[in-house]
Amino acid sequence: MRFAVGFLVLPVTLYVIYVIAPYAQAFSIALTNWRGVNASPRFVGLENFRRLLEDTVFWKAVGHNLLLLVLLPVLTLVIALFFAFLLNAGGRGGAGGVWGSRFYRVVFFFPQVLAIAVIAVLFQQVFRPDRSGMLNAPLIAMGFEPIGFLSDTDIALWSILGVLVWQAVGFYVVLFSAGIASIPRELFEAAAIDGAGGPPMFFRITLPLLWDTIQVGWVYLGIIALDVFAIVWVMTPEQGGPDYSTTVMAAEIYRNAFEYSKFGYASAMGVVLFFFTIGFAALALRLSRRERIEF
Amino acid sequence: MTPLSRRELLRSAVLAGLALPVASACATPAGDGGTSSAPAAGATSAANPLGLAENRPLEIWIFDGGFGDAYATDIHEPLLKAKYPKLEIKHNATQEIAKTLQPRFAGGNPPEFINNSGANAMDFGALVQDGQLADLTPLYDAPSWDDPTVKVRDTIDPSAIELGSYDGTPYVLNYVNTVWGIWYSQKLFDDNGWRPPRTWEAFTALCEEIKKAGETAPFTYAGRHPYYIYEAILTLAAKIGGKDVLKNIDNLEEGAWTAEPVKQAAGAFAEIGAKYLMQGTAGLDHVQTQTAQNKGQVAMLPCGSWLENEQKDTTPEDFGYAMFALPSFTSSDAMPYGTLHVQPGEEYVVSAKSANPRAGMEYMRAMLSKDGAGDFMELVSTLTVVKGAGEGRTLKPGLKSAAKALLVAGDNAVWFLFRKWYAELHDEVAAASGQLMNGKLTVDEWAERAQKKAESIKNDSSVKKFKR
Amino acid sequence: MADAAVARSRSYARRERRRRLGPLSVLTHAALMVWTVLVVVPIVWTFLASVKSEDEIFGDAWSLPATVRLDNWARAWEQANVGQYMINSVIVVACSTFGTMLLGSMAAYVLARYPFRGSRAIYLLFVSGLAFPVYLALTPLFFVVQNMGGVPVIGPFIGLNTHGGLILVYIAYSLPFTVFFLAAFFRTLPGAVAEAAFVDGASHTRVFFQVMLPMARPGIISVTVFNILGQWNQYQLPLVLLTSVKDKWVLTQGIAEISADAGYDADWAALFAALSMAILPMLVVYVIFQSQIQKGLTAGALK
Repeated sequence: MRFAVGFLVLPVTLYVIYVIAPYAQAFSIALTNWRGVNASPRFVGLENFRRLLEDTVFWKAVGHNLLLLVLLPVLTLVIALFFAFLLNAGGRGGAGGVWGSRFYRVVFFFPQVLAIAVIAVLFQQVFRPDRSGMLNAPLIAMGFEPIGFLSDTDIALWSILGVLVWQAVGFYVVLFSAGIASIPRELFEAAAIDGAGGPPMFFRITLPLLWDTIQVGWVYLGIIALDVFAIVWVMTPEQGGPDYSTTVMAAEIYRNAFEYSKFGYASAMGVVLFFFTIGFAALALRLSRRERIEF
Repeated sequence: MTPLSRRELLRSAVLAGLALPVASACATPAGDGGTSSAPAAGATSAANPLGLAENRPLEIWIFDGGFGDAYATDIHEPLLKAKYPKLEIKHNATQEIAKTLQPRFAGGNPPEFINNSGANAMDFGALVQDGQLADLTPLYDAPSWDDPTVKVRDTIDPSAIELGSYDGTPYVLNYVNTVWGIWYSQKLFDDNGWRPPRTWEAFTALCEEIKKAGETAPFTYAGRHPYYIYEAILTLAAKIGGKDVLKNIDNLEEGAWTAEPVKQAAGAFAEIGAKYLMQGTAGLDHVQTQTAQNKGQVAMLPCGSWLENEQKDTTPEDFGYAMFALPSFTSSDAMPYGTLHVQPGEEYVVSAKSANPRAGMEYMRAMLSKDGAGDFMELVSTLTVVKGAGEGRTLKPGLKSAAKALLVAGDNAVWFLFRKWYAELHDEVAAASGQLMNGKLTVDEWAERAQKKAESIKNDSSVKKFKR
Repeated sequence: MADAAVARSRSYARRERRRRLGPLSVLTHAALMVWTVLVVVPIVWTFLASVKSEDEIFGDAWSLPATVRLDNWARAWEQANVGQYMINSVIVVACSTFGTMLLGSMAAYVLARYPFRGSRAIYLLFVSGLAFPVYLALTPLFFVVQNMGGVPVIGPFIGLNTHGGLILVYIAYSLPFTVFFLAAFFRTLPGAVAEAAFVDGASHTRVFFQVMLPMARPGIISVTVFNILGQWNQYQLPLVLLTSVKDKWVLTQGIAEISADAGYDADWAALFAALSMAILPMLVVYVIFQSQIQKGLTAGALK
């Protein structure tokens, strides 16, 4: 018993000081109009939340988060499954996969090892609207209007989504490839004897057996979608712009806390984000329970 | 990962989520960060009128923007150091003032002297409200650096003190005098026989001519920072409707943004945006658009008088920066041709809760000396608020042009302050203005959005209100 | 995965390839190449821009540099402090990952294998952290770290603007994932070896470090990889906790600042050079260790 306490005391202390205490405080700060250390916080009840209801920018941010919450996992998982399937030739290739599959797996994973802030700066240049932008240069050369990847309010959020998918896919390709490789080859062979080709085999064997892994991926990506910050903050004009067309909850929290010094209001936003995250977790739990065969 | 454990994770997360708000009821915000009481001034004397404490260091933070930070290390710091050799000066520079220093203020150990400028400046309103800034009255009442019989306040442009005041107390030193206008290359204009327009008709005609010529785009602005265009819109609005137009906006008056002159000005620039903007403007920032102008890709852009200095590395030798004031919208404009947006700016503050605030003020006194200001003008090529600092100095063409415009404007100078007072309103107007120029917002929608934000700030009890 | 199996499957794959190099295979490779290009081109383009002149950068994006200008790299290295930032990142991530793994595995081990009254509550406390958005805690966390700076003796090493402070915060915020994951792992380990060690008179601590930890190696590696990636990528926490001392900044902050700087100084070439410097070592390290990294990731996640 003394051993157990000895092993736990440091991690728990650290965790309570740096994680639990700040979270707990955040909830009470959300009920004040606190604007700085020296202005003593005044209790305002649910005033911040009432204001939040009317804050169109914040709800825009919520909408963007929800859009990402749906699309980021769907796109990433579909693309990753597709490539994992190709790499393993539908599983028939066993652990080896198609020729060069090792090379592809290594390259696809590249974006994962780059820091998000680095990726944000990189794509800022890729997306430039003039002749010096990687994507717009050929368009302009062919006589088209350049696309405002980050400057058109109708496009900017899709550019963000594109970069997020670009970064995430490689990880799941690797994950799913390993998953497919671990499926017993006899299953595929049996299916092949039954005359199943590539795609049917994918839907009848690969997909069901990967389902657990896919769900894990969905939860991870969902949490990433709710926590998007650096890519928006570093890459977009007006930090979440133009005209708030790419802003997300985390960016609004940061803006209100550290730029407008509205700590109380920002904490209220944080509380809302918190309940979204919890809600998402609860939803994921329910969905996964319904479909699982317990064993 | 086993299915069981994953479910466990989710369930426990949900459970904990419900338990936490209850637990937090017992916790309180950090509250007063335990700042030490502000140190009193040291002994004052004729040689040291502000009572700077030489035994404590002076920490200086310069915004490393268009002016760079060499003016501090090469001019002002040596000036102070020569007088107080024992004083330790800690020099710092950054692009991101708020990101870098806001936490220090929040933490109660702010540096003494800050050049709070740039796109990432701290919210002055919040700083004042929070009691973070030192009252500069002792500085302005102190004898000036060059002549002990004249007070500092009498050696500088009075609007500089007025603009740095909050509810009558001066907290901010506006050191640089900035004038805004439409900038062009004298050489490009001469080569093509173009002339600076004096009326809006002439302006659009010129844009049309430039567009037809096909070599150069007529107009651009820093699309990623739409402040550059709403500045021009508001200046034109004041020219059409008089100084009160901007005063009403600053005071968050009802209908200030939906007033006719404001809408007319916005409509005028929206038309420019629809017809004459350089391709890709919306996605380019100030340096990219300004560099495009240096390369002859675009003829005109709105900017402040720091432009020439900011672009010194990319400007061709014979470029010949020059500026003109916004053209008259109609002949019945409330203010005459030549009306300028003039704003003492480049804000410097001393933090009240720093260890050595009087050293910060003494540093300001050195900046406001004839030598300090004159050398500054020559080095960074800009106007200052110190009267007559430019006498006998050689100025670059762009600065000469700006100085001339300032002289012509005389009392017809307009300015607005909400950008400093209410950062939120600035963000909203900037965001909306970008869309106005892209044609995604109509003038009415633009005005209503700004008005709505102004009203929401007015109704926000946590935001301190200012009046001018 | 045994090498023999790999070898066998390779030869199998080779046979397979010989058997059918049909149109399907061409299409497969075409699709895979498309994504390869998508991944590689922006990175290569950045490297190319890093040796271009300012004029070339502002010119056509797809033009090749006339001469290779390595002075861009020198400027970025000297002025932009990329080297310093990278060293800082390495120091912080090395210490915090080590700390995370040490403390996390200790806590996970006890919580998984030594149930006591309240152990489940502690476990839930840790795991619940997985669902908390860090942005909610940002403001109070700032003050917590600041107050830690006032602690006697160790204060100066763990307050604001110290690597120590950031490391402790990284550890604390990595614990939920680490504990959750490793606890699951420790639960699955057979107890027989540990019992044999106890019979031999080994202490609990010794059993943990010398028996259980080595047995949990696949899980440990996989969680370590996750933590390194996660902490290396952090931008938000250093942004708040390391603001005012530039020479302590980590790489993500540095790169973001250089991008803001380029707005004022217009040294785009140096920006691209700095970006390349941030990218290159990560790619090299990754390529060297890629098989371990990929194995580690999948071993854990697929368990």
